[in-house]
Amino acid sequence: MIRNYFKIAWRNIRANILFTVLNIAGLAIGLCVCIILFSFVNTELSFDKMYSNAEDIYRVNMETSEEYDFETWAELPNAVGPAMAQDIPQVKRMTRLIKDDFGTTASLKIGDKNFTENRLYLADSTIFKMFDFKFLEGNSENAFSKPKSIVLSQSAKERLFAGREAMGQLITVNNRDTLQVSGIYADLPENSVMDATMVYNILDSWMGTNVYWGNASYETYVQLQPNTNVAEIQEQATGLIDKYVEKDNQYFTRFLFQPLTKIHLYSADIRDGYSSKLGNITTIKSLLFLSLLVLFIACINYMNLATANSQKRAKGIGMNKVLGANRRQMLSLFYVETGIMVFLSIVIGYAVSFLALPLFKSITGNEISYQDLLATPILIGLSIIWILVTLIAGSYPAISMSGISPLVLVNKSKKKGSASEFVRKGLVVFQFAASIVLIIAVTIILQQMSFIKNKNLGYDPSGIVAVSIKSAENNQQVQSLIQGLERQSNIESVSAVQTIPGSNESGRSVSKLATDNIGMPIASCRTNGDIVKTLKLKLLAGTELPQNIVAGDSLIYTLINEKILNFLDYKTPEDAIGKTINTELGSRAIITGIVENFNFNSLKEDIGGYMYYKSHKAPEGIRTVLVRYNTQDLSKFIDLVQQTFTASLPNTAFDYQFLDRHVAQLYASEEKTASTATIFSALAIFIACLGLFGLAAFTAEQRTKEIGVRKVLGATVTGITRLLSKDFLKLVLVAFVIAVPVAYWLMHKWLLNFAYRTEINWWVFVFAGLAAILIALLTVSFQAIKAAIANPVKSLRTE
Amino acid sequence: MITITDLEKYYATEEVRTIALNKLSFKVKEGEFVAVMGPSGCGKSTLLNILGLLDDPDGGSFVFNGIEVAGFNERKRADLRKHNIGFVFQSFNLIDELTVFENVELPLIYTGVKPAERKVRVDAVLEKMQIMHRRKHFPQQLSGGQQQRVAVARAVVNNPKLILADEPTGNLDSSNGNEVMDLLTELNEAGTTIIMVTHSEHDAKYSHRIIRMLDGQKVTENVLAEFKSV
Repeated sequence: MIRNYFKIAWRNIRANILFTVLNIAGLAIGLCVCIILFSFVNTELSFDKMYSNAEDIYRVNMETSEEYDFETWAELPNAVGPAMAQDIPQVKRMTRLIKDDFGTTASLKIGDKNFTENRLYLADSTIFKMFDFKFLEGNSENAFSKPKSIVLSQSAKERLFAGREAMGQLITVNNRDTLQVSGIYADLPENSVMDATMVYNILDSWMGTNVYWGNASYETYVQLQPNTNVAEIQEQATGLIDKYVEKDNQYFTRFLFQPLTKIHLYSADIRDGYSSKLGNITTIKSLLFLSLLVLFIACINYMNLATANSQKRAKGIGMNKVLGANRRQMLSLFYVETGIMVFLSIVIGYAVSFLALPLFKSITGNEISYQDLLATPILIGLSIIWILVTLIAGSYPAISMSGISPLVLVNKSKKKGSASEFVRKGLVVFQFAASIVLIIAVTIILQQMSFIKNKNLGYDPSGIVAVSIKSAENNQQVQSLIQGLERQSNIESVSAVQTIPGSNESGRSVSKLATDNIGMPIASCRTNGDIVKTLKLKLLAGTELPQNIVAGDSLIYTLINEKILNFLDYKTPEDAIGKTINTELGSRAIITGIVENFNFNSLKEDIGGYMYYKSHKAPEGIRTVLVRYNTQDLSKFIDLVQQTFTASLPNTAFDYQFLDRHVAQLYASEEKTASTATIFSALAIFIACLGLFGLAAFTAEQRTKEIGVRKVLGATVTGITRLLSKDFLKLVLVAFVIAVPVAYWLMHKWLLNFAYRTEINWWVFVFAGLAAILIALLTVSFQAIKAAIANPVKSLRTE
Repeated sequence: MITITDLEKYYATEEVRTIALNKLSFKVKEGEFVAVMGPSGCGKSTLLNILGLLDDPDGGSFVFNGIEVAGFNERKRADLRKHNIGFVFQSFNLIDELTVFENVELPLIYTGVKPAERKVRVDAVLEKMQIMHRRKHFPQQLSGGQQQRVAVARAVVNNPKLILADEPTGNLDSSNGNEVMDLLTELNEAGTTIIMVTHSEHDAKYSHRIIRMLDGQKVTENVLAEFKSV
């Protein structure tokens, strides 16, 4: 019997080539998208599960006090880890982790060669055991047994030593520490937040030995004894705050243990942390939702096309029933047919996903490899999808068509079209509503992205290159570099600063009176001057910071933004000039200038207080030179800057970045979302069109006789085309009415992610509606016109 | 074999109720060949659907082989149907996606006959209908006469007690039509009861008895040949 189903099903599939092609194309595209996304999601979900201690490892985060808005931070004071290891017996291992120089790119010197490196970490030696470091040379026990040791990953060794022996070689970091290679470890897994390519002992640095409860810069990982109650430990750890920190200095309220396996996806609301490999569970969820939506739209196509085909098949089913088939047997026949169709689609979709992978990568920037596509969960998932899609897509045709009465053979069957007609229309409406929502969403996402790109930030990041000078050996080198740069004709201005806007500023708090308890948390950045000119900030009152301050001048000169000005309660910018400001910087500080607020952070965040300062006695170093240039020939310009740099800092790797690219990088994940959403929508709409095309073909065929009669009675081609298109347009209109509120709600929510956002305009909706109508019209009219221009004699004769 | 008494069937639309069968009564004996004639709309096809257990009467009694079947549900009717009744239609109703052999095999599949036996029985009936050489062809590759022979083969492969034929020659030219009528006569002579709806006086002459209908009622009955119970 089953063999017979296969036979009939297969012949049916071959007999209706147009329907088969439309069906398989739609399903295969939907499945291809699903396969790629599932493997992406699968990779994301696999993060950090490979470590043998994964279940027992936690990152300790902390919740800050009211002053810092109860934010959760991933970076803690360096005293926290040792205190926990000492006081809490269930803490089996602990490691602190900090990127060299708080995450700025390191300059490495090996012999006479310079390299840059941005995944150089300092950690406690326990990290090797906790994270299963596999040593290829040396071993985890002795790696840090000698002072000033460093271990490299296999690929770092390749890069730095190019096949030569690395063990025992010396590496000078930032012209400051000289470290000896004491081990080589196999590269850490790609799907791990632990991304260190080099590690050296934190205890070789003041960062590890000089422990205190102030500066919060250290990620802290603990490995608990198996089966420990985490909530209890969290409680105990929080208890340490009162034990070690005076009430007045407690800017954190409690510790939160985050499981290692959750760090990758669940850290969006946690500030800082060093890993370059953070995902986002919301993205994962939306991608999953979108891929299921696309798949569902493809299923709907299948249902529609299959039932639309039912007229053709009705006689066959009727005959089978006359011959004794029961309903169950007919159900099986349709499921078998669907099963074959879905199987073919999966095979094609799977094959195409391999071909489409590079394209997907280049458009969305998501990293998945061919191996990920072959992962076992994907293959299992495909089998599940096969069964599910067969059941879902096959259900409607199977149920509706197996119920066909044998009386169709004698034309006595009641016209029971209305119910199935209604379902079919409902499905088309759903498809189009989903498509319209997607069109609206994509339009608004693209609008917001362009809004961000074109928003006046209050400073001008374009035309600035930032050159790292943190590894300069002395101040003479810096001065020589600056003077060398200032001599170039295509350089407008040069400013030496602590850092570029929005990264690695020092957190401080300012207040009007030294006696004020609560200050305003601000970002402060040391500079040597000319910052207004270089960044093109807008000066509201006062002057740029002084070019020169005489030796022995202990005053701190500050340039503050309006946010701070308002907090300090000055009526006008002019009022504040020359006034004292309390800055936690140690000496008396005065306000020399006020600048308009500027978006130093991403536009997802509101502007906070910002202060540039200049002083002889500054705790922070000058680490970056901002160069505003005026030239089109960038490669020649960069060559020139590099020459100047190397002439002044011969022992330091040249490390630079364009400020505007840095700013663009802030929206990388949104850019990804935008391009992914665009592809999805295009595919969803395309699949919906395939279905509509088939449905229109069917309707035209079904109404051939009617059209013939109408034409004999004098109907025109336009009239008939309109007649056939009208029904579909009505469906699109209904879909539009449903889609608008859904889209509005969704996009309103999405825009709330941004502190600065575009308005949702009414024309977006009109545009999406018109686009949907146009697409539907193009799809349907082809069939409608074909039917309308056919010779009526033919259609009437066949009846 | 068949006794119908006061059989009624209505077709109702929202406004009009059409009476298709109006208290129709007659009997058919086992082995008889009965032709049903009458103008379009007289209720012949409705009658055939009910006799074929495809449709349910609205009133009256229908005793088939001693069992009252009026009021049977679809499942019970289907069960009775597949073991006892073969159908021949004007438009053949062969399944396009199946070959001649597979079309004829189908009723055996549904009655649960084993594959080996199916092959023997299908081959035998195809041999008998002289279309063995076409067994691998699809219906569209055959002439109308050949298609109807396949349809007859399919109707008889299960050895039904009753064959219902609805204008079996309607789509055929006269020589092909005569061939099909000869086939039916042969089957009848071998013991199968046949009820045939037709417009053709010529075809009706092959039967033992003609029942003429008008407006859902029997008007006359002509006995053409002496029929002796088997």
